[in-house]
Amino acid sequence: MLARSPRGALVLLQKRSYICQSCLRRARRLPLAQNQFPKARSIQTATAPPSTDDAPFRKTLKEAAKKKKKDERAASGSSRNSSKSRNPRLEKWELTVGIEIHAELNTARKLFSAAATSANATPNTHVALFDTAFPGTQPHFQKETLLPALRAALALNCEIQHRSSFDRKHYFYQDQPSGYQITQYYEPFAQDGHITLYPHDFPAGTCPEDGPVTIGIKQVQMEQDTAKTVQQPPSTHLLDFNRVSHPLIEIISLPQLHNPVTAAVFVRKIQTILKAVNAVTAGMEMGGLRADVNVSVKEKDGNSSSNIHSYHGVGQLGQRTEIKNLASVKAIEDAIIAERDRQIDLLENGGVVEGETRGWTLGSKTTRRLRGKEGEIDYRYMPDPDIAPVFIGQDLVDHLRQTLPALSDETVSTLVDGTTYGLTAKDANTLILLDDGDRLDFYFDVVEHLRNMFSEQPEVLVRLGKVAGNWVLMELGALFKNEEWSATKVSANQLATIVAHLLRKQITGSTAKRLLLMKFDGEERSVEQIVSDEDLFLRPLTHDEYLSLAQSLVEEKADVANGIVKKQQLGKIKWFVGQMMARSAEGTVEPAAAEAVLREVLHLPPVEQK
Amino acid sequence: MSLLRHAQRHIDNLGRYGHLNAFVNVADAESVLARVATAASSSPTDNVDPRSPNGRLVAIKDNICTTDIPTTAASGILKKFKSPYCATVVRQLREAGAIAVGKTNMDEFGMGSHNIHSHFGKTKIQQNGVDRSAGGSSGGSAVAVATGQCWAALGTDTGGSVRLPAAYTGTVGFKPSYGLLSRWGVIAYANSLDTVGILGNDVDSVEGLFDITNVYDDQDPTSLDASTRSHLPTEAPAPSRTFRIGVPIDYNISTLDPTVRKAWLRSLRLLQERGHSLHRVRLPATQHALSAYYVLAPAEASSNLAKYDGVRYGTRAEGKDGTPDSVLFAKTRGEGFGPEVQRRILLGAFSLSAQAIDNYFIQAQKVRRLVQQDFDKAFATPNCLTDSNDRKTEGVDVLLCPTAPTLAPKLSEVQDQKPLQAYMNDVFTVPASLAGLPAISVPVQENESASAEAAGMQIIGQYGDDKLVLAVARQLLDAAKAS
Repeated sequence: MLARSPRGALVLLQKRSYICQSCLRRARRLPLAQNQFPKARSIQTATAPPSTDDAPFRKTLKEAAKKKKKDERAASGSSRNSSKSRNPRLEKWELTVGIEIHAELNTARKLFSAAATSANATPNTHVALFDTAFPGTQPHFQKETLLPALRAALALNCEIQHRSSFDRKHYFYQDQPSGYQITQYYEPFAQDGHITLYPHDFPAGTCPEDGPVTIGIKQVQMEQDTAKTVQQPPSTHLLDFNRVSHPLIEIISLPQLHNPVTAAVFVRKIQTILKAVNAVTAGMEMGGLRADVNVSVKEKDGNSSSNIHSYHGVGQLGQRTEIKNLASVKAIEDAIIAERDRQIDLLENGGVVEGETRGWTLGSKTTRRLRGKEGEIDYRYMPDPDIAPVFIGQDLVDHLRQTLPALSDETVSTLVDGTTYGLTAKDANTLILLDDGDRLDFYFDVVEHLRNMFSEQPEVLVRLGKVAGNWVLMELGALFKNEEWSATKVSANQLATIVAHLLRKQITGSTAKRLLLMKFDGEERSVEQIVSDEDLFLRPLTHDEYLSLAQSLVEEKADVANGIVKKQQLGKIKWFVGQMMARSAEGTVEPAAAEAVLREVLHLPPVEQK
Repeated sequence: MSLLRHAQRHIDNLGRYGHLNAFVNVADAESVLARVATAASSSPTDNVDPRSPNGRLVAIKDNICTTDIPTTAASGILKKFKSPYCATVVRQLREAGAIAVGKTNMDEFGMGSHNIHSHFGKTKIQQNGVDRSAGGSSGGSAVAVATGQCWAALGTDTGGSVRLPAAYTGTVGFKPSYGLLSRWGVIAYANSLDTVGILGNDVDSVEGLFDITNVYDDQDPTSLDASTRSHLPTEAPAPSRTFRIGVPIDYNISTLDPTVRKAWLRSLRLLQERGHSLHRVRLPATQHALSAYYVLAPAEASSNLAKYDGVRYGTRAEGKDGTPDSVLFAKTRGEGFGPEVQRRILLGAFSLSAQAIDNYFIQAQKVRRLVQQDFDKAFATPNCLTDSNDRKTEGVDVLLCPTAPTLAPKLSEVQDQKPLQAYMNDVFTVPASLAGLPAISVPVQENESASAEAAGMQIIGQYGDDKLVLAVARQLLDAAKAS
């Protein structure tokens, strides 16, 4: 069950209190059933390679989390803040990273058969004869699969190649029915792209770059996915061929990344872009995205005699290693740090970095050698004699370019600049990243509803974006903290109605929050209905009623009042405000009005207007 | 003679020539005859059309998928394999009324020139009590036709696998232009060269099957599309037309058997007597064609045969397979493939490897292009796939040369041969395969005497000139018989 519907299973698990929440969050970032790499496993699309120890998945997660906690405890004793303080080694050594990202394209059919793609279908129900390599079958290239691939390549500013072709990459593994993967080695369909990382792409305060940094994309190629291995401990591996030949794109960056955080942000941004142009099926969390990283270091001021290596035309680099099959952004960042430190240790102790393939396991502190150069697989690339070259017309490219959905940089600027939304860059980025963009769509809907409701009131219109952002991210966000996002639990229209009532001062803030919780918990009546049924309308007290309430309270709690007046304990005014609200019917006391009256009674200056 | 009597005679011959081992599996005789009876009743005048397969028994090479009879490709790894679907060419023949009598023996996966590399034992012919090579790899189909075990047969031709057995067995073997006949359901040996071929006792039966199967098939990505087909001649040339016959002098090699050379000269003379003209043609790249073929075909084979692991279908090795350091089918592949297949897989894996691909695979592809250019220079008709020039007045219509350098060798000789010597048999057939050209082998005796030995004569045409090649073959065969 886990394997068939990972997301659903996780949601179910979450509701059980004895399962560690941080494990679950980690689980979302991890393709299922992965912890060890068999030695002979080839790289790439590599699915979830079978574990050699077959420990149950949840146990592995728990152990990883435990280990991490332990390590952190140990570290906090000795050298805490090592990440914050300047590391002199990093001043001396320069890190260089190149990344290869594999992403599942969002297509109806497989790359070379008319079988439907599927994520959670019953195993082996969407499989054409060719997908399982039956003798005498041939590939049928599904040209529609080019469309999301082209959208992705255009969004990554690539040059679309008029002619491209498919090659066979040979290696044996039981998840690879034909004994080779069809990919684009000699003539990829897109080349020479780039993306730019802006300070707003980084988590607050972590941007290591001065200003925007542009990372080159060497090429984007199309290829087939492999079958999914489903483990049945202790020693059975089941194969689900539904995933065989699911179209993938592989995005190969130039080695132009010099910081682990930047590398992580690069991957996250590519993820966001691919999602924004509707090119991919899922985020990295569901195994829809996997990455390999190439890592090398060199001395910044050292003699360059050992930096003789050149990768993708970028020269004067140190010997690199490759870390395969990383399935989350966090894993990418952690693996790069571990490998960087390992290489520096090695070089500073007079050692030599070997060109080899390494692995990284969730929660570990170091990378692990998988195979050396001598153990590298020779993939024996051969043009596929059954597949004609693909010719892509300029008219198609032009059309796709014109109809490309807005990219995240543009979306950020729409959300931040101008008066329509007026969000902070941080909130804008959070909205874009949450729930694969679904949260952003929901936000747009809420604002749209509100703008219709207040179209006659320009002074309210300019505040709508910010208020709506607050409710979507904070209030509603808090309710979804332990639950998978759903745009229908509280509809955009209902949330807008709640916010509108608040903005019109028809209800108090706490009433608004109560309404939201009721709707979230499945209340079927409309917001208007609840407000009227339960008589939640704000019926403000008259000034005299406020005065008498305030005076009776001040008399009752004279000591507190004295403290406020004599010792200027102004914070305690809030306590009185709370008491006033508590002693009155719901929806009758407004905090601001109550404070003004209290100040009047205590002869304090009115609150300054901001 | 009625269809039913023909069929009965074929079935009788199945028993009589069983020792030649032409078939791997045969259909149930009763149901075959029942189907013939049904077909015969729908055409009460009996089948008078010498080209129609309706109600006729057709043998199918065992690398062409059928759902009712196993499809083994003569390999141990597929020895019990039953395909879940039917090849397009088989479906086309069935729809035309043909009845599949059985699946014919072959060299495993099509790799061989003498039909001795079969999991099911060798196929052979017997002449004057001597066992001789049936030729390969479609040896079973050729023997089945030659000994009357069927009316006609399907084979496959990658580097001469239909023409060579036709030459050795004295039958007609036709390899159409690449891309005309569907490969859907044909087990790949070397995709860029594999062609379904047809064997028969005369040109009529061969042409009849060709006309039925020469149809675009969207299941085969290399099937020639309708718009390109529309540029190809579909009609046979007018009977009165005289042809310019090219004589490739590069094929007159010193090791050519005297009987073959005599049959070649006689063929040229017979055609000249019918008013056709002869012209010397140089095909200099031919001398490299064989080497190029034995780089390219194994390369593709090493890739195509990677799928046979016994995991999803096929036969697995007994006991546990795989070690911690290997995949789960090393033993299965080691046991399932015969020595010649293993040799070519290794050869192909090497020529595709990073250190060898530039010197072998890439060079061979260049030679392949040169071979094609040689042919294009020789033919009057331009190659519709590569250029749009007009006809050249000085070019030839077809080439005529021997199919093989020798007659069928003794089985005892070929069994002791080094692999390289066996590869030499393909020297005349491989160039047309590399260029994707239509080529046919017809038997021509060295002289008019009834007891004279026959050698296979090969007629090669420009790409798409299949009808022309068949017409010249018919004239040559008629002339040889009449004289």
